[in-house]
Amino acid sequence: MTPTAATPAVSADTTDDTVPAVRLDHVSKEFNGSHAVRDLDLEIAPGEFFSLLGPSGCGKTTTLRMIGGFADPTEGAVLLSGEDVTALPPNRRNVNTVFQSYALFDHLSVADNIAFGLKRKGVPKPEIGERVGAMIDLVQLGGMAERKPRTLSGGQRQRVALARALVNRPAVLLLDEPLAALDLKLRRQMQVELKQIQREVGITFVFVTHDQDEALTMSDRVAVMNGGRVEQCGTPEDVYERPESRFVAAFMGTSNLVSGVYRDGAVQLEGGPALPVGPRPGVGEGSVVDLSIRPEKIWLSDFEPGMPVVNGVIRETVYSGPTTTYLIELAPGVTVAALEQNTARARMEDRWEGGETVELGYDPDHCLVLGH
Amino acid sequence: MVVLFSFNAQKSLTVFKGFSLRWYEAFFHDNVLLGSLGMSLEVSLVAMAGSVVLGVALALGLVRNKGRLGTYAGLIMMVPLITPEIVTGVASLLLFKGLGITLNTGTVMIAEITFSISYVTVILRSRVAALNPEVEEAAMDLGATRWQALRLVTLPALLPAILASAVLIFALVFDDFVLAYFTTGVDPQPLAVRIYSAIRFGVEPTINAVGTLMLAGSITLIGLALAIPRLFGRRGGLDLISGE
Repeated sequence: MTPTAATPAVSADTTDDTVPAVRLDHVSKEFNGSHAVRDLDLEIAPGEFFSLLGPSGCGKTTTLRMIGGFADPTEGAVLLSGEDVTALPPNRRNVNTVFQSYALFDHLSVADNIAFGLKRKGVPKPEIGERVGAMIDLVQLGGMAERKPRTLSGGQRQRVALARALVNRPAVLLLDEPLAALDLKLRRQMQVELKQIQREVGITFVFVTHDQDEALTMSDRVAVMNGGRVEQCGTPEDVYERPESRFVAAFMGTSNLVSGVYRDGAVQLEGGPALPVGPRPGVGEGSVVDLSIRPEKIWLSDFEPGMPVVNGVIRETVYSGPTTTYLIELAPGVTVAALEQNTARARMEDRWEGGETVELGYDPDHCLVLGH
Repeated sequence: MVVLFSFNAQKSLTVFKGFSLRWYEAFFHDNVLLGSLGMSLEVSLVAMAGSVVLGVALALGLVRNKGRLGTYAGLIMMVPLITPEIVTGVASLLLFKGLGITLNTGTVMIAEITFSISYVTVILRSRVAALNPEVEEAAMDLGATRWQALRLVTLPALLPAILASAVLIFALVFDDFVLAYFTTGVDPQPLAVRIYSAIRFGVEPTINAVGTLMLAGSITLIGLALAIPRLFGRRGGLDLISGE
């Protein structure tokens, strides 16, 4: 007999770790007939640092707003900890948002800004004082409690926005490009801090960004979005090392893209060598394909046994401190970039000069073959 | 001159015969003028409150309703500003007469509110448009209802502009003559109308005293209107009323 224990499709048990903190069930959003988000299916686990990454207009902010309750999905359902909240307004969802503009209340002090959510919930006064104090310490704003937001620097305002959301202990914290307005140095520092805070409080973070470095360094998982769809969802390593589409390969850092004809497990360049890539099911014999490989995945020496090696001519040497990039011509008009680390073992005099013929090695697993 | 001769010891309006407060005393014993002052204050306060409440609501509605209705409402809102006041006055009079309403303090209030809403809306509209919509969303995100978000976040952010426009409306309505003249009943009459009637029968130095008091009051109010945004540490927002 087969056990017939019917698993409820929707469980309201919030303590269960197997219930995703956020679930988007075939969610679509239309604005005036055009889709901002199309048929999105996502599950975000409790305690996860999850990033929505993509260029502007890819639908990542709309997705975030639908989780927060600021935009209604045209189709589909939004579930928080298993509970369908699609019809609930923002003030009745157990999520809080850090807005891109911080959206601080300028007429209130830092402490009153942070206490705003707790007061709405009717938390007793002594507890509010305690929690606000603890939060001010957590985001390192000691001594600023009575200041008005306008007298603070950008980084400090950002911390107030974060504290104001976190103090409510939401099940999920939504962050809409919270670091975009900060300068590069401060941004790097806040990235580390944000990640530390997230580990400390153990709250699920859903982080929207267009900066791939940011997404890679901070996230447990990344969803790369384009045109209202998720192109690929996985760990930072997955989406960077094993991009599944041309868009992901191009958006996540730089990639070489060369065209050729796929035949016998290799990509034949016109007027040049054939690049072995191994068997590729789903790619038709004789079809025109693009081969994509990252510059740092091309070897110029110390090849491993069995590795495909082809010849090329150095056209340009670009030295940029810790790395050197070589532009190498494989066939007439077909140039790839190869990145070499300038480590202690690499001697300057060993660098290749323009016009020299070199050997290039690579691992076929690092190649992405995309049919046209 | 008016200020100087309001302190004249003699009744003459051309020769100064020494300092005296007798005309001020006379004013404070003149029950008709005091009645008019009382009515003017009453009308100004009611018009201020009414036009600020309606004007702020209209400004919020206009900025957030970008549809056709909002556009038309915005245009209609500008009409009282460009219409000569005398036209507004006559139109109000015809309306009240047509509806068979007896002119009294109430009709002045209604006419003044109608006229003042536009000023409040013009001042508030740019302020509302400059508000960051994410701020109200943040309030709701933190558990506030729509109404709480408006009361706890949006209105405090607009407070300097609201207070400045309230003071301005008070001063405008208090000094207003044309509209009041067409819409007031016989008794009591607003101060400005009463003064006008008094002047037709020869200028009493008491009028000088009243004029001086009104001037002092207006200057104080305008000063206040200018100071309010400074008190809130905000620049701008007053460019619209500095010409008054």
